[in-house]
Amino acid sequence: MIARLAVVVVAALALAAPAAAACRQPRTSLAYLEGQVMCPTCHTTLDESNSPAALQIERFISAKIARCWTSQRIENALVANYGEGILAAPPDSGFDILAWWLPIGGVLAGALILAFGVWRWSRGRDDADPPGTEPALDAETERKIDDLLAGLE
Amino acid sequence: MTGRLKLGAQVVTLLCVAGLLALLVWKLAHGQPAPPKVGSKAPAFTLSRLEGTGKVSLASLHGDAVVLNFWASWCDPCKAEASVLERAWLRYHHRGVIFLGVDYHDLAPDARRFVAAHKLTFPMLEDGPGRVTGSYGVQQVPETYVLNRDGTVVAHLAGPITAPGFGARFRAALKKVA
Repeated sequence: MIARLAVVVVAALALAAPAAAACRQPRTSLAYLEGQVMCPTCHTTLDESNSPAALQIERFISAKIARCWTSQRIENALVANYGEGILAAPPDSGFDILAWWLPIGGVLAGALILAFGVWRWSRGRDDADPPGTEPALDAETERKIDDLLAGLE
Repeated sequence: MTGRLKLGAQVVTLLCVAGLLALLVWKLAHGQPAPPKVGSKAPAFTLSRLEGTGKVSLASLHGDAVVLNFWASWCDPCKAEASVLERAWLRYHHRGVIFLGVDYHDLAPDARRFVAAHKLTFPMLEDGPGRVTGSYGVQQVPETYVLNRDGTVVAHLAGPITAPGFGARFRAALKKVA
């Protein structure tokens, strides 16, 4: 009887262990972080590098994922060790926020300049050639045309 | 009015192009610096200790000769030269030669394990972002600089001191500065 009880307890513990190892939040992935973190020696993202430094960081990330660390927490730990340059994307605060807004501002400014140019160009064409009007002829030309037409009659 | 507008747009465009060009030139000029030459002053730095607290600056060591060894725990040649460096440190530290290990682009816990595994007793500094390492033009570890007592570079060994020819140069530099 005691032996059966022991077996049941051991089985229950064995089943409970994976449940205890599960994370409270969805687990992040190495594949995701490999695209977010730079290899410090080769200046590419981790997924494009097999350098020893990149492999070391990948091992660190895998160990932290296994311990249910979030991607943000892992990135913070890497930044504390290597500095901001370890992240592929610039931070979205402080002076670095310019890196996000300048390209957007540039594209918007370009679009506005283009739209303004197109508008002015189309207006210029309208002014130069209004529909239903013919170009005015000077008196000399009109006289010559009249003479030619008279000659035809 | 149209003429002014057109001129303004042209000036703005030219300024943008000039700005981008200046940025490119600045980036090229401030890329990886060249390694300090033998006979020139070593770049100044202040770095945190890898173990314990506090910082060490090169300026605070004036009066002592300095062996500056750049390494990382993921670097295999660094493992090979670790014991040679430790033996040299034990031999020379009583003769006014300070050995400093600069751990570069490395995870601090891994670096501490490396130090413990190789029983290294000379001071270790951490340069995770690699700024100081960059100012010494280090492209790949290990690299070793030997500085004399006024901070002038006496020898630069771009590779492990166990490499052929480097051991003799290292010993000669140590004798020169001790």
